[in-house]
Amino acid sequence: MNSCPQVEKIVDYCLGELTGREKGNFEMHLKSCEICQRELRVEMAVENELSREFDPGFIENRIKARLQLKQTQDMRSFWLYAFRMAVYGVTAAVAAFVLIPMLLKSLLGSVPNLSQYTQGVGELLGKLAPGNMFIMVLGFCYIAVFVVSMYSLAQIRR
Amino acid sequence: MKSTIDDLENLIRRAQDGDEHAMTGLITIHKALIFTIVLRMTNDYDTSQDLTQETFIKVFMNIRKVKSVEHFKPWMCMIARNLVRDYFRRIKRSNTISFESIKDFHGRSNIEMTRRRMIIQNALAKLTEKDQMLLTLTYYEGMKLDEVAEVMKMTASNVKIGIHRARKRLRKQLEGYEHELLSAG
Repeated sequence: MNSCPQVEKIVDYCLGELTGREKGNFEMHLKSCEICQRELRVEMAVENELSREFDPGFIENRIKARLQLKQTQDMRSFWLYAFRMAVYGVTAAVAAFVLIPMLLKSLLGSVPNLSQYTQGVGELLGKLAPGNMFIMVLGFCYIAVFVVSMYSLAQIRR
Repeated sequence: MKSTIDDLENLIRRAQDGDEHAMTGLITIHKALIFTIVLRMTNDYDTSQDLTQETFIKVFMNIRKVKSVEHFKPWMCMIARNLVRDYFRRIKRSNTISFESIKDFHGRSNIEMTRRRMIIQNALAKLTEKDQMLLTLTYYEGMKLDEVAEVMKMTASNVKIGIHRARKRLRKQLEGYEHELLSAG
């Protein structure tokens, strides 16, 4: 069907990529070549269709309503997350300072004093280390959990 | 041209401050561009409306990140493109378009015209996502080569080569349909 060797130039011609002289020569050729004329008409039809724009109709209010809904949901999930984190924090504090010592006391008869096992660490910490290292370690764990929770919260909010 | 850019910049700044009128203005200016891109790729009117809305929601949720007016349009197109990609990841993509779906989004046009559009849209659907995007952006009035390059994350010269190849591949898909393409005005 495409028996004209010049037909390959149609796309270049449509895209405006032929130089002045090439363009002139091609336009001269177009006048006498029915194959290229037909091909150009096909390309123009394609180009017309591709350059069409479609209107989605009046969507402005729907977008704003959905945006508001999304922002409300995000805010709600933020507060839910903050509440959950607070609950976790309180639970961790109760576990660290009340439940675990009570559990250990009921199992072992008394709250274990880990200072004997952590004397080396205690020496390293110097005067800062209290007698009961166990409580101190739990305290540090609690602070770590709290800091990580706050960091996650900040990330989610961002 | 300068005043258009200034107006757009003003709208963006106001939208960044939460001005609803500015948001409406930005939607009105850009909705046809986003909808056309999405519709060309999905061939589904309802899905395209939904994805267009999603695009604008994402745009406004992140509008504070926009630093310069020149990057706004390409950035928005990129969001639309990513949402279409996500959509295709969720559903199995079909590359055949029905006469009815074309009629849906072309409104009340005559049968020959609708048929012609279906042929072209079917041919377009058989191309890769990249080719479709290149052709849609290039032929959409008002998109500059630099902007297309930014959306496609390509250099301007590669965009030119890409368009050329995509156009040839589209023409190949249209082989045998020439008579129908030329029969409708």
